[in-house]
Amino acid sequence: MAAAAPARAADLEAGRQKSEPCKACHGADGNASIPGTPSLAGQPVFFTHWQLIKFRDGRRKDPQMTPFAANLTDADMADLAAFYAAQRPTPRPAVTDPPKVAAGQELAQQHHCVSCHRPGLVGHEQIPRLAGQDLAYLVKLLRAFKAQTAGDLDGTMTTAAQPLSEEDIQNLAHYMATLPPTPSR
Amino acid sequence: MPRITLTLLVVAVALVLGFGPLVQAQQPAPPPTWKQGQPPSMADSPLAPIAQPPGPKAPGEIPVDKIKVPAGFKVALWASGINNARVMTWGDRGTLFVSSRVAGNVYAVLDKGSTREVKVIAKGLNMPNGVAFKNGTLYIAEISRITKMVGIEDKLDNPPPMDVVYETLPKDLPHGWKYLAFGPDGKLYFNIGAPCNICIPPDTHANISRVNADGTGFEYVAHGVRNSVGFDWHPVTKELYFATHARDWLGEDMPSDRFDVASKKGLHFGFPYCHQGDILDPEFGKGKSCNDYVKPLLKTGPHVAGNGVEFYTGSMFPSEYQNRAFLAQRGSWNRTQKIGFRVMMVTLDAKGGVAKYEPFAEGWLQGDQVWGRPVYTQQMKDGSLLIADDYAGAIYRVSYQR
Ligand code: HEC
Ligand code: HEC
Repeated sequence: MAAAAPARAADLEAGRQKSEPCKACHGADGNASIPGTPSLAGQPVFFTHWQLIKFRDGRRKDPQMTPFAANLTDADMADLAAFYAAQRPTPRPAVTDPPKVAAGQELAQQHHCVSCHRPGLVGHEQIPRLAGQDLAYLVKLLRAFKAQTAGDLDGTMTTAAQPLSEEDIQNLAHYMATLPPTPSR
Repeated sequence: MPRITLTLLVVAVALVLGFGPLVQAQQPAPPPTWKQGQPPSMADSPLAPIAQPPGPKAPGEIPVDKIKVPAGFKVALWASGINNARVMTWGDRGTLFVSSRVAGNVYAVLDKGSTREVKVIAKGLNMPNGVAFKNGTLYIAEISRITKMVGIEDKLDNPPPMDVVYETLPKDLPHGWKYLAFGPDGKLYFNIGAPCNICIPPDTHANISRVNADGTGFEYVAHGVRNSVGFDWHPVTKELYFATHARDWLGEDMPSDRFDVASKKGLHFGFPYCHQGDILDPEFGKGKSCNDYVKPLLKTGPHVAGNGVEFYTGSMFPSEYQNRAFLAQRGSWNRTQKIGFRVMMVTLDAKGGVAKYEPFAEGWLQGDQVWGRPVYTQQMKDGSLLIADDYAGAIYRVSYQR
C-alpha cells in the first residue's frame, strides 16, 4: 500500500500527552484564559483537525500558533483533535452588553449562522462551536473572514461574513460569547 | 461575440466583483449556497452536505470487498493515505498525478510494483481540483487560476515553480473548483460553475470554457451548465461529453443530474431556467420554454452528483466495453434516501443515443451509511481502471480476467 500517511484510529491518551506544549496558551483541558486565544475544549474532531492542517500548510496563519502546528504529523493531529473534543468546555469570562446580545441574536438568525453552526451554535463536524467562545477571539476571526484573510476550508465562512458591518460583528460576538458552551453532539 | 470581448468581460467581472455576485454589503446575507432555494416548509430539514473527513482512512478501515463489480472483474485497494484524492492524470513517464479539493494538495503517486509511494508536490492551494498533463508539463486549476509545472517528472522531490497560464477567472468559491482537461484540439477545457445553488448567474458563469495551452484565446464552449466537474471526448466522434450537477431543494426525485454531449460550440443547456430538459424552474423558469435549450442525452438520476466521465479505450476489459463511458457519482446529500456513491456505465448506440445505463461498481453506500465516495476514474496503460475515493482518501484498481 501507499507509503505515506498510515492513518489509524485516534488515541485520546496520546493526544493528552501531545497537548503538553499547547497548555500554556490553550489551557490544560483546552479551556484557554488568554483573551484572543480560542478554547479548544468540546470542538468537533473534524474542525480541530482541519484547522491544524491549515496552519501546517500555511493556509491559515498566526505568529503565535503557526510554529506549533508546523511539525505535527497527521496522526498527531488526529490524537489532539480527539483529546480536545472529549474535554468539557467552560464559558469564557466576558463582559457582555445586553442590547448587543439581543441584536446579535437577531443577526444570527437573519444571516443563517445557525444553518451551518447548528442551533445553539454548538458546531458540527468541520464547523466550530461558537457558543461561549472568547469574545475578543470571535471579533478577531469575524473581521478576518470579512477581510478575506482567514483562509477557510471551502469558502463558505468567508462568504457568510461579507455582508457583516463592524457593528454586526460586535453584536454577533456579544451574543455568541453569552451562549452556554454545550459541546457539539 | 468576438473572443477578445468575452475575455475582457471575464476580466472586468472578476476584477470588479470578486465575491460580489453573491452578496452586497449591508444587505441580509443570502443563505449559504447549499441552502439557497430551500422551500420554507423544509427550513428545519437536517439535510446538509456530507462533511469531508480531515484525514484519509487507514487501509484496514477500507472495506474493499464491499465494492461490487460485474462477473469476471476484480477490485483491489491500489493506494491509500491520499487525503481527499480526486482527479487523476498520467505523466508521460508513468507518474500518476492526483488532485484534491479542500485538502489543498496535489500528489504524485509512483507505482512501485506491489506498493505505491505518495509524494505531496504542492500544498496550501485554493481547491486544486483540476489536473491535466501534456508534453512533460503538469497543469493545475485552482479556483481562479490555471498554473503549470514544467518538467515536473524530473523534479518530484523539488517541484518547479507554478507558472501562471491563465488567471483572469472569477474568484467565487461556490462551484468555483474546476475540472481541467486537454481536448483533442490541444486546448485546455474547464468549467466556471454557477456561484449559487440557483440564481441568474452572471454571464461569465455556468459554462464550460477553454483556452489555448499558453493561456491565450479564451472562449466559451457551452452555456447554461450549472456545474460540470467531469468531461471527456468520444474516442471516435471526438465530441465533448459532460456530466452536470443539478440544483438542490426541488424534491427527493427532482431534478435529475445529466449527461450531455456538446455537438457544437455555443449551445445552452438550460440552467437556471429549465432543469433536466423538461422542468421549468419554479422561480426563474417563468416565461421560458424548455424547448429553447438542449435536452439531456441522459438523465442520470436525482442528486447523484456525477463527477468523473471517461470513455473506455483499453484492451483489458471485454470488447463490448470499448467506447463505453464510465460515470463516477459521488453521491447525494439533498435526499433522505441516499443515492449515487457508485460508478455507472453508459453504452451509446450507433446514432449516439443511450442504449444502456447500468452500474459498474457500487457498494460505498451500505444501507444509510457511507464509507467512501467514488469521484473520478482513470484508465491504466494495461486497460485496468482506477477509481479515486475522496472520502476515504484511496484509489482502487478494477481489473478483468478472461
Ligand atoms: C503561544 C501560544 C499558543 C500555543 C503554544 C499554541 N497555540 Fe493554538 N492558537 C494560538 C492562537 C493565538 C490561536 C488563534 C489564532 C488566530 O487568531 O487565528 C490559536 C488557534 C488554534 C486553533 C484554532 C482554533 C479555532 O477555534 O479556530 C487550534 C486548533 C489550535 N490553536 C491548536 C493548538 C495545538 C494543538 C497546540 C499545541 C500543539 C497549540 N494550538 C499551541 C496560540 C497558541
Ligand atoms: C455555510 C456555512 C456557514 C455559515 C452560514 C456560517 N458559518 Fe461560520 N464557519 C463555518 C465554517 C465551515 C467555519 C470553519 C472555518 C473553516 O472553513 O476553516 C466557520 C468558522 C466561524 C468562526 C471562527 C470560529 C473559530 O473558532 O475559529 C466564526 C467566529 C464564525 N464562523 C461565525 C459565524 C457567524 C457569526 C455566522 C453568521 C453571520 C456564520 N459563522 C455563518 C461555516 C459557516
